[in-house]
Amino acid sequence: MECYSLKQSDVPALIDHLGAYGEVIAPHRKGDVSYSFEPVKDSEKVVLEYNRTLLPLKKCFLPPTEKLMDFSLKDMSYKPTEVPIKPAVYFGIHSYEMQSILRLDHSMLSGKAESNYFNRRKKSRFIGVSFSPDEYHFSESVGISIEEMEGFDLYLNKVSDDYQLYIISDKGKDLLKGFDKLIQAEPIHVEGREFNKKIRYHYNRLPRVFQYAYHSKVWAEVAERCVGCGSCNLTCPTCFCFDVNDQVEVTAEDGMRRRSWDSCMLSTFAEVAGGENFREHTLNRTRHRLYRKFKYITDEEGLPWCVGCGRCTAFCPADISMVDIINDLIREDEKAQFHKTVRV
Amino acid sequence: MKRLQEVKSNEALDLYYPTMCEIVDAKQLTDLEKWYELKLPGGQDLGHEPGQFVEVSAFGIGEAPISISSSPSKEGSFELCIRQVGTLTKVLKRYEKGDTLGIRGPFGKGYPIEKMYGKDILIVAGGIGLVPLRSLINFVLDNRQEFGRLIILYGAKNPSELLFTDELDVWQRRDDVELHVTVDQGDPSWEGNTGVITTLIPELDLNLNKTIAAITGPPIMYKFVVMSLKSKQLPDSHIYLSLERRMKCGVGKCGHCQINGVYCCQEGPVFNYVDIKPLEEAL
Amino acid sequence: MKPKVAFFDFTSCEGCQLNKLNLENDLLDILKHVEIVEFREAMDDKADAYDIAFIEGSISSPSCVERIHDIRRRSKILVALGSCAVNGGVNAMKNLQPIDEVRETVYGEDKYLFATLPAMSVSSIVKVDYEVRGCPMTQQDFLKLLVSLVLGKQAPRYDSPVCVECKLSENECLYNRGMVCLGPITRGGCDAICPSFGQFCTGCRGLLDEPNYIGMLEVMTNHGISLDEAKKRMLLFNSNEVQL
Ligand SMILES: Cc1cc2nc3c(=O)[nH]c(=O)nc-3n(C[C@H](O)[C@H](O)[C@H](O)COP(=O)(O)OP(=O)(O)OC[C@H]3O[C@@H](n4cnc5c(N)ncnc54)[C@H](O)[C@@H]3O)c2cc1C
Ligand code: SF4
Ligand code: SF4
Ligand code: SF4
Ligand code: SF4
Ligand code: FES
Repeated sequence: MECYSLKQSDVPALIDHLGAYGEVIAPHRKGDVSYSFEPVKDSEKVVLEYNRTLLPLKKCFLPPTEKLMDFSLKDMSYKPTEVPIKPAVYFGIHSYEMQSILRLDHSMLSGKAESNYFNRRKKSRFIGVSFSPDEYHFSESVGISIEEMEGFDLYLNKVSDDYQLYIISDKGKDLLKGFDKLIQAEPIHVEGREFNKKIRYHYNRLPRVFQYAYHSKVWAEVAERCVGCGSCNLTCPTCFCFDVNDQVEVTAEDGMRRRSWDSCMLSTFAEVAGGENFREHTLNRTRHRLYRKFKYITDEEGLPWCVGCGRCTAFCPADISMVDIINDLIREDEKAQFHKTVRV
Repeated sequence: MKRLQEVKSNEALDLYYPTMCEIVDAKQLTDLEKWYELKLPGGQDLGHEPGQFVEVSAFGIGEAPISISSSPSKEGSFELCIRQVGTLTKVLKRYEKGDTLGIRGPFGKGYPIEKMYGKDILIVAGGIGLVPLRSLINFVLDNRQEFGRLIILYGAKNPSELLFTDELDVWQRRDDVELHVTVDQGDPSWEGNTGVITTLIPELDLNLNKTIAAITGPPIMYKFVVMSLKSKQLPDSHIYLSLERRMKCGVGKCGHCQINGVYCCQEGPVFNYVDIKPLEEAL
Repeated sequence: MKPKVAFFDFTSCEGCQLNKLNLENDLLDILKHVEIVEFREAMDDKADAYDIAFIEGSISSPSCVERIHDIRRRSKILVALGSCAVNGGVNAMKNLQPIDEVRETVYGEDKYLFATLPAMSVSSIVKVDYEVRGCPMTQQDFLKLLVSLVLGKQAPRYDSPVCVECKLSENECLYNRGMVCLGPITRGGCDAICPSFGQFCTGCRGLLDEPNYIGMLEVMTNHGISLDEAKKRMLLFNSNEVQL
């Protein structure tokens, strides 16, 4: 893999250079303590040292709300929303975020492939950046290291005050053509970036834990504290459920059909007309959320569908922690195993 | 895992755009249910299997999954029957001949017709469950010699809620159809059976190896019907059920229809009982 | 024929009323679809019937009760506008004190001249077909409902918490900024307007159907306010709904 060194002070120049390919989207400061992915207007404003953005990068490919069509009530006709295929560079992306996009690809493109998503995704390029895990990151526990480069075209590894830039794909190489601020370098292994939060088992043991956890007491304990706000799903980079609704103008003549992100933690998610609710209690919904991350899709695709970004925990008003729930399930499982052994 | 590179441009589909269909006939069947006959542009066939559904939309109101009620053997048009229970379905009450509705589909998996040829077909329909099963019934009737016995059990709350009464009369008179109708609560003019639908099952004389059961009805009905059929020793693998879930897309994307890890709009709505038995959220 | 629409006022701050008159540009569009036949008060001598009656304010005296029954009899569709009408709103705070005390603070010496009832939602007296929530209600919400009614559509109840819209707009959560917010258990539909401007949600649109009260109090007290204060916040707009 080709490796170059890049001075911190040359990063804005790199961003400007990438602008020649297409719009550059990168992390920026937002509010008091947060970050968000935004189109770059001034490359000096890009923040490469950040813990996590409020909304995941998913928002660029599956927008929080998206118009599907305009319609007219006068003649019952509609106009589809065309999603143009535009080149864009996603700059300063953490490895777990990249992995979430690869999972999202599967969700939106397997079975019937959706054109809206496909078009947005078609000409995207990704430039990764390393990060220092905070108290919420746990991606290592789900098999994603800080330096996991799958999916990236280029990768920036922070080495003391500057960066090492890796060229990962031919597309990445093309992006750099004409950029002259790089100096060939030997890859340096960076030490000391430890994860503070850990799941106690290797992730490939989790499906087994979940297999026996359906009737665990843990769900009720979590449900007692959960206030059902939906923030955990709405900030999760691998959640992709949506709702569809129609909006009509005041003229009562025109309107649009929109879809927006939905959350299986909301009480009405599985409710049907007539009042039947297939996941009536918070307990059912909490369990479903975690099974979606560690069992259902995992059984088929062999990977946890959680990438360990820590958003669901960091943004939960009730401080409900994904890792703690799983470790509780593990503990309970171990206890059950122990009792079995003792009985025999 | 499916990768972006594996998807060719022409495989990416516009999944959410309806085809505008004209209502060529409509009739209010009961206080709550209305029947519609629709035509695709140019009289194309919908190309569905019995048990599949479409997403019906009226702009400004919304979309809802609705079973196709006519048999695929009917050419040039298809039929729906809609119960008026919520936002969209209540507005549809006003839709008449000449109006247009948006249709997406057909979606989902229907009844495994291939496996049903030569078999005795036992239909168990509760209330509006007759709507999708009518597609299967009429398919069997249109290909009568390909199937064994056709036994239809149909239950409704009361006589005024019975659907497709004209057709019930026809089926009643045919000697190659065994129709048993019951209502939970009769009225003074009702002369037929009263009692829930499961009361019809013990009487049945079934050829167990040859019988395939197709069940559709309100959620609470399934458990009891399945129990009764099992007590008759009908093998689990001979039982098919059509499950209802909230659905927002019909194409396996929106996530609303999940039954544990299974997408009802993709793997269902018609399931073999063996496949849903391990799913805690199914019945 | 255009539907005949009327507005009636009960016990409220009239904030909602003002809001409606602010509709400016949209007003012309609305008038295309409806005919406004009554604006507040003065219907004693009219025996008119209305297609849609909009009710503002809560019901808080025996004469209000009589009047609302009368309006209901004459109206095909009855809509409650704003928190006061929907669930008693801030007016219902008075229900938490013994009724005699309330009379005394409000009317002083004359307390026995005025009969007063606990502030009640319109729906606790007559059947309410639709509601527009909020204190004040927003113009968009009012227009949305009106358009639905014109289209003959049953307006869906918004039943997701404020947090949903807050997340969709990528707001920084106030809890992450050390504040306390009622968004998680409050019925949204307001585009999370308060958190979007850095203000905590006070629950003005009413609470979700089955909120986790205990969990919410725990969240609030864990974020630095006393249990007393937390309860007060929860009750502010929803004393008729909250069961603590
Ligand atoms: C596979 C399938 C086949 C069906 N076939 C028929 C049929 O042939 N005839 C018939 O009358 N009804 C049928 N239903 C039920 C019908 O879809 C609902 O009654 C309808 O969605 C209610 O929509 P609404 O807008 O009137 O109600 P609202 O309560 O206002 O619903 C709002 C939205 O919630 C969702 N939703 C609510 N209830 C249901 C539900 N029961 N099932 C799925 N989504 C729901 C829909 O997306 C709907 O747009 C079927 C449901 C499924 C899943
Ligand atoms: S973010 Fe926390 S409180 Fe909100 S729904 Fe998720 S787990 Fe429950
Ligand atoms: S489940 Fe939580 S930690 Fe896992 S990917 Fe989603 S938001 Fe991140
Ligand atoms: S600021 Fe309030 S409404 Fe917004 S996410 Fe946080 S708790 Fe919810
Ligand atoms: S954020 Fe809360 S207080 Fe503000 S308008 Fe919405 S519901 Fe009312
Ligand atoms: S209905 Fe949307 S995924 Fe099944």
